[in-house]
Amino acid sequence: MKVRARMIVLFLLPATVLYLVFFIFPTIWAFYFSFFKWSGFGEAKNFIGLGNYLELMHDSMFWMSFRNTMKILFIGGFITFLVAFILTILINIGIRGKKFFRAMIFMPNVIATIALTTLWAFIYNPKFGLINSLFRFLGFETMEKFLFTSADHVFYAMLVALIWIQVGFMVVLFMAGMDKIPFEFYEAAKIEGATPLQMFFHITVPLMWDVITVGVVLWSIFALKVFEFPYAFHGIDPPPQIYTIGIYLYVMGFGKRNPIYRLGYATAIGVLLLLAVIIVIVLLRKIMQRDLYQY
Amino acid sequence: MDIDQDYTKNIQISKKTLLIDKLKKWARLTPSYFILGIWSLFTAFTILWVTASSFKSNRQLFKETWKIPTELHFENYVKAWTTVKMGTYFINSTIVVLSALVIVLFISAPVAYILSRVKFKGNNLILTLFIAGIGIPVQLLYIPLFVIMTDLGINNTMFGLGLLYVVVSIPFTVFILTGFFGSIPKELEEAGVIDGCSDFQVYWKIMFPLATPGLITAAIFNFIWLWNEYQIALVFINNPDLRTLPLGLYALSNAMQYTGDWVGLMAGVVIIMVPTILLYVILSEKMIAGITMGSVK
Repeated sequence: MKVRARMIVLFLLPATVLYLVFFIFPTIWAFYFSFFKWSGFGEAKNFIGLGNYLELMHDSMFWMSFRNTMKILFIGGFITFLVAFILTILINIGIRGKKFFRAMIFMPNVIATIALTTLWAFIYNPKFGLINSLFRFLGFETMEKFLFTSADHVFYAMLVALIWIQVGFMVVLFMAGMDKIPFEFYEAAKIEGATPLQMFFHITVPLMWDVITVGVVLWSIFALKVFEFPYAFHGIDPPPQIYTIGIYLYVMGFGKRNPIYRLGYATAIGVLLLLAVIIVIVLLRKIMQRDLYQY
Repeated sequence: MDIDQDYTKNIQISKKTLLIDKLKKWARLTPSYFILGIWSLFTAFTILWVTASSFKSNRQLFKETWKIPTELHFENYVKAWTTVKMGTYFINSTIVVLSALVIVLFISAPVAYILSRVKFKGNNLILTLFIAGIGIPVQLLYIPLFVIMTDLGINNTMFGLGLLYVVVSIPFTVFILTGFFGSIPKELEEAGVIDGCSDFQVYWKIMFPLATPGLITAAIFNFIWLWNEYQIALVFINNPDLRTLPLGLYALSNAMQYTGDWVGLMAGVVIIMVPTILLYVILSEKMIAGITMGSVK
């Protein structure tokens, strides 16, 4: 028994120590920092209580980042799930080359974000890009000079690209979920005269509810903390129209080209971000809670 | 004679219905092939276009955007590798990512083993604490970590970055390996004990080798995300010589606004894409199994 206890400690120790010191402790410390006005590493910290949070409530740039993040979470999430479901069904309908199509759709997920933003810079390039060239080829003269990356359109241009990437992940997840549903269920439903749509909502969705739940939770966490793709999407100086909470935090803490170093303020944004993740996960656990069908 | 005629007639009918069935099947499947084909083609095309462009000259890129390059400008790669230092960044990335990868597997596997197979007080609490890390936004850690790293004198160093890569990879690695160790039959462990193995030996000689498929999956996942990661590097690496490949490419794409060297950027993109795409082509089934393993029971 003693040997057992020693082994447990020895096995857990290295990872746990690193994780506590460099992950859990900084998380807790961040709450403390968020109560200070602090304008640079090595500078003095002034305790201002909830001052940073009160200021955030009136910071229009923060709310813009918040709204953008919510748009990614809800609009982006809805479209991603819808497209992923459609593609999964199209793949599962009995075609040849299932694995090939799945592999192609998942592909963007293994490519570096910076490489992907460069791909999309080419797709949206107004002079020689893929879409504008296509418009030119088709003779849509008014659309030919459309600037997808202008401040007005950049957010949705970015969102489309982000969905293109994330759909691949969800397709892989959904395919795994759908594959384990016994085929006889569909055959029986067909004999009873069920339409494909009925089969989808009464067989597919309930029987892969656990997989859908995992997908929704992972999407929510991803959407709330998304930083890399939108940040790099528009080059060195991302316009505020594309800010997410994560980007605004980084900009306030470290600045883009010129340093800003509003460290307490940035940390307060991070605390709100963590609270958002917790709230969303708690809500999802309530909403998504269903009795799992046993079969 | 009659029977023969009937027979051929029947064959003809069944041939006919077979043909109709085939046509029906095609009508049902064609939209699938069409939509999936366009989606796949779009992805393949963008990647191939960047690769083709990386061999052009800048003039050619603008004048003959859609043509296959007539002559191969390998000097784009030479320039990217040496002048823009992508070679140095490639080596930096390889060192940091591979060492972080090995370490995170070696410290997470024992944790996953203990938490999934040994029952003790606090077992679930520790597992929850580890998995909670998946939900904690890494951005929240930037400023406290910056202070800690500076105090320890490892901020803006490769060692520091590698250490952070290990730490942020722990939650997911423990999560995926816990599922894997949990699925190994108990009998194998018991057989080891009966054969007189100590607890340590059971782990090293029986469980660790049995977990190899899980370890490989975790390794591929961590490799791909760390190889592509740039936000942590952006915060903690300031010295241009210490840049990782994504950070170098980010700097290159920003500098492009002034240099206008699109083909050089494309060469950089290809350099960063090749390792992960190669790995993916060889091991895509393993990767996909990894996503499924953690989330589908």
